[in-house]
Amino acid sequence: MKQKKGFFLALLFTLAGICGCDTIDCTLNNTVVMRCNFYKDGKSVQLNGTLTITAADTTIVLLNRESSVSTLKLALSYFNAADTLLLNISGDDYKYTDTLWIEKTSYTHFESPDCPVNMFHNITEIKSTHIFIDSVTITQPDVNFAEHENLQIHLYSSAD
Amino acid sequence: MKIFRFISILLLISLVSPNIWGQNKKDNAPKEKAPLLSGVGVGIDLCGLAMKGVGARFANMEICGRVGLKEKFFPIFEIGIGDCTRNGGETTNVFSTRAPYWRIGMDYNINKKMNGNRFLVGVRYGFSRYNYDFSSPDFADPVYGIGKPLLLESLKGNNQWLELCIGFETRLWSIVRLGYNIRYKTRTLQSVSELGEPYFVPGFGKNDNNTFGGTVYLTFDVGKSAHLKGQKSLFGKRKNKEEDKSKEADTSTEETTPRAAKRRQQ
Repeated sequence: MKQKKGFFLALLFTLAGICGCDTIDCTLNNTVVMRCNFYKDGKSVQLNGTLTITAADTTIVLLNRESSVSTLKLALSYFNAADTLLLNISGDDYKYTDTLWIEKTSYTHFESPDCPVNMFHNITEIKSTHIFIDSVTITQPDVNFAEHENLQIHLYSSAD
Repeated sequence: MKIFRFISILLLISLVSPNIWGQNKKDNAPKEKAPLLSGVGVGIDLCGLAMKGVGARFANMEICGRVGLKEKFFPIFEIGIGDCTRNGGETTNVFSTRAPYWRIGMDYNINKKMNGNRFLVGVRYGFSRYNYDFSSPDFADPVYGIGKPLLLESLKGNNQWLELCIGFETRLWSIVRLGYNIRYKTRTLQSVSELGEPYFVPGFGKNDNNTFGGTVYLTFDVGKSAHLKGQKSLFGKRKNKEEDKSKEADTSTEETTPRAAKRRQQ
């Protein structure tokens, strides 16, 4: 009789233990942004003027009058095949605007029903105007949780 | 690290188990020998059915078939259906899957006494090939402000895993046995869609590198192991009666012999 009691008690505790275990494990670093660095003469530089970045044909401001910028973290659109960004750089006596076209493919990424769904991107092509931007190169086309550089924006020597 | 801890606990329990189950008592009675094919059993997992019944987020409903060899080794085959529909706690996301799974493996009975109780340690290898769905009706671009419901259907997944089991089983009545076991599961292979990993893998449980699980099996065990010496017979009162009669006959001859001898002496 004692043996049966022990058996059923152990059974009860086992079931309670199994049913009681549940945790939510969402990735902590869950922001998906495209990382760009500014370069001049092959070296990383900070911009002296203030930089404002807007999405073309919208009122969306991605970066508002940021000064001393050396690195950009820009969110890409979820559903557009290409993003058009206007980069406005201004100082005391100058104001230039360059346009950046980013073509990409996007795909969803989910982990758990408890975690928000993210959109990853793969940059396929990039073009720009050349007012103060000399050239743009893709260093890592995959835009995801990884904190690596995706684009290098090379400036003209006189555009500082 | 968790695996080593589990294995060491398993070994420890295996070492002390003879003391737990009273094996240290010296028994002068001759040891019972089980036949090679000591029994055949089929079982159903009550835990999975109960979880489904109470509306749990996931459940593995399974049945098993096994063969007993010398009352020590129990090759076993388990087949079931894993079912999961999981709504996000703070999101509107929904994950769902329903697919079959299989496990093959073997249990070893540590209990040396043939008293109807089995203390089992075992191993299983599990397989599941499944489709899973994921939906997010409120999926929207937070920066550009465009919303588009996300509906991903029939994403393909394939998992294999290893299980280490430890459990206890007792004979309730006649051919009916009840047992439970705890399982440590570790993933050996996973192939899933690049869009996202499944939340739940049928047969394995919540998708992770390793996890714990358990089953409560109601088993119907037929064969020689089902009615061991000293227990109620499997099919039969008839057999018991026959045994009783033969016992009575034996005792009567034992009793009559000394009386006859006394008479001769008189």
